[in-house]
Amino acid sequence: MEAGIAQVISLSPMRHRDDVLTGAGLLPVLPALRELLPGGGLQRGSVVTTGDWGLLSLALAAGAVADGAWCSIVGVPAVGLRAAAQAGLDPERVLLVAEPGPGWMQVVASLLDGFDIVLLRPPEQPSAQLRRKLEAAARRYSSVLVIAGDWPGAQSRLLVADAEWTGIGTGHGRLRARKAQVIATGRGAGERARSAWLWLPGPDGAVMAAAEPTGVAGASPHSGFPGRGGFSGAVLAGAVLADTVLANSGEPLVSNG
Amino acid sequence: MTGQATAARRVLVLRCPAWLDSARADSARAHSARADSDSAGCDAVSDGSAGSGSAGSGSAGSDAVSDDSDSAAARAFESVVAVVENFCPQVEVLRPGVCAIATRGPARYFGGEAELARKLTEAVGRAGVGCQAGIADGLFAAGLAARAGPTGLLVPPGETPEFLAGLPVGVLGMPELCELLPRLGIETLGQLAALPPTEAASRFGPPGKLASRLARGLDPRPLIPRPPAADLSVQLEFDPPAEQSEPAIFAAKALADQMHDRLAAAGLACVRVQVQVRCADGQELSRLWRHDGLLSALAVAERVRWQLDGWHGAAGITLLRLVPDQLVRATGRQLALWGDSVPSDRVARAAIRVQAMLGHDRVTRPVLAGGRRPADQALLVPFGDNGVPRRPADRPWPDQIPAPAPATVFGVPLTASVTDDAGREVTVSGRAQLSAPPARLSADGGPARAITAWAGPWPVTERWWDPRHARRQARFQLITDDGNAWLAALQDGRWLIEASYD
Repeated sequence: MEAGIAQVISLSPMRHRDDVLTGAGLLPVLPALRELLPGGGLQRGSVVTTGDWGLLSLALAAGAVADGAWCSIVGVPAVGLRAAAQAGLDPERVLLVAEPGPGWMQVVASLLDGFDIVLLRPPEQPSAQLRRKLEAAARRYSSVLVIAGDWPGAQSRLLVADAEWTGIGTGHGRLRARKAQVIATGRGAGERARSAWLWLPGPDGAVMAAAEPTGVAGASPHSGFPGRGGFSGAVLAGAVLADTVLANSGEPLVSNG
Repeated sequence: MTGQATAARRVLVLRCPAWLDSARADSARAHSARADSDSAGCDAVSDGSAGSGSAGSGSAGSDAVSDDSDSAAARAFESVVAVVENFCPQVEVLRPGVCAIATRGPARYFGGEAELARKLTEAVGRAGVGCQAGIADGLFAAGLAARAGPTGLLVPPGETPEFLAGLPVGVLGMPELCELLPRLGIETLGQLAALPPTEAASRFGPPGKLASRLARGLDPRPLIPRPPAADLSVQLEFDPPAEQSEPAIFAAKALADQMHDRLAAAGLACVRVQVQVRCADGQELSRLWRHDGLLSALAVAERVRWQLDGWHGAAGITLLRLVPDQLVRATGRQLALWGDSVPSDRVARAAIRVQAMLGHDRVTRPVLAGGRRPADQALLVPFGDNGVPRRPADRPWPDQIPAPAPATVFGVPLTASVTDDAGREVTVSGRAQLSAPPARLSADGGPARAITAWAGPWPVTERWWDPRHARRQARFQLITDDGNAWLAALQDGRWLIEASYD
């Protein structure tokens, strides 16, 4: 897990990019997610949605947390913390409020003043008035509110449009990696939709850029899964991919630790 | 204050099992991801009547993890405390469901200890609450006596060591020692008490010293015989009166910090805190709270919350005062509050504010832990406490699910139904043979969805050496036609969903 986090940091050219760091208005994201967001990061004071709760929500916070931000997760009693760690979201810098109760808006507003990122799965659909209050709180404290669910006033909406697991068949193999197309839309009418293919997650749980599938996908469970050539050299160097990924059928679901 | 001078203080512990069970069930529901349920052999005492045993074990944080329960339970327990107060004004609340009084005065008034215990349990019974009462020398023994029978036990004066001698060391509630001592052939408190105290201290360190004192029927730590001259209490006046309890709870954290600073400056610590609250109409409510793991500032504030929640004072609060009670020498057991990541003041302030709204243990920090099941792999520690997983993450855990890990892990697995093409429930034989390929999955009572890909069964056997906690499972990964990937398991003939990957 720690290796995973170190990897994110060392791979991240963001630390050396003046426009992102000195532009205090942006929180960094994982390299694979950059092209999905205007400016290549999470705009402080904004609201971003990720569709239903899932790995994408966790991955969205990972880059900033690796950069020193603090993240709180509200309204999600079943966070897969190991998945978070594998995706690069260090649990050491996470606060969980699994059941925020009926006063959840107040809880979220308090957390926005203090935490750089608040991941929220709203326990109920908030009224427009409450939404505006939380949006105002995010702006006031320059934090980012990431919503798992629907939020009409969001500045960016990310959505897993298409996803396929690889490595598993009918009665053989196991879940190895999921290739997903994430589509991002902005609020402005003229803004173009952005799209990226990601490993969400990759074979070691990390979230990485994936090659766009070519030809007919879905013929076999292994289709669309790239060999070594599909990943960038930098990623391959530290990752666990390689042989374990490719030799897969019939092997027990047991790590030899 | 009551009986500070002598170690043979006679104590009555009143225990309401209904509370402990429901509080435990509640907290098990809320924190089932906590991963502690099947580890260590000391779980039998985890409801904590023997909580004083963990005083020196270096785990103030995990004490707080295991016994800080619902404020609703605390609120409800207030009605019992009110009944007990009719017998003795100085009631110590150990936790919701357990309280203690010194018997010396009341026993004389009510005609002996047995009579006192009988009248007290009857009075509490009239309030509609079943309870057990135990009387012995010292709080630790009295707590055990309360659990000794259906109605509790009266251990006559001086016979406490004999009463304790037959009990297993597990009742100390000190996981490490409980594991170690039986391996050395020390299985009962009597055998432990027979060790020379200095040997116990030098061989097992501070926890051993403490365990030895408890086993001999002494208080966990010698109390400082007389109150120091300086007034160590701290107080805050509210002007205008605080109409709601939140500001008082918030202020209590700062006050508790202040109190700890004063104590620390004098080289002292306290195992009991008296919380006094005064209202605008002159009414006063005072409670003693005990926690032998030493009360952290956050834990003090939590108890102020319990106290205020359970009390329906009509007027606003004008004064909050914390009086440290039962002082002991600080043993220098100051744990670093945080791991590597020290939250900034701003982060801590936000977290504490939310704790003031929701309760201490509903705001948590995750600590990765070891374990075979995904839900065992994280421990949730209340913000401000220390938590060290009993099963570290960096050990090999055979049968652990290989990466990638599931993004959603259900603390309590969802019930499910997996059927074959003909609609029959899929079963697995003892030799890991499937009855038929799984075709449809219905999770958590939802609609049945077609299974498009699957893998398994992978047999998992946990704790086969321990029949009480042994668990056999056959694990599967399933993908349904809506694209979701699930981690499912067949256990005792029932299908469960442990996690979801997307």
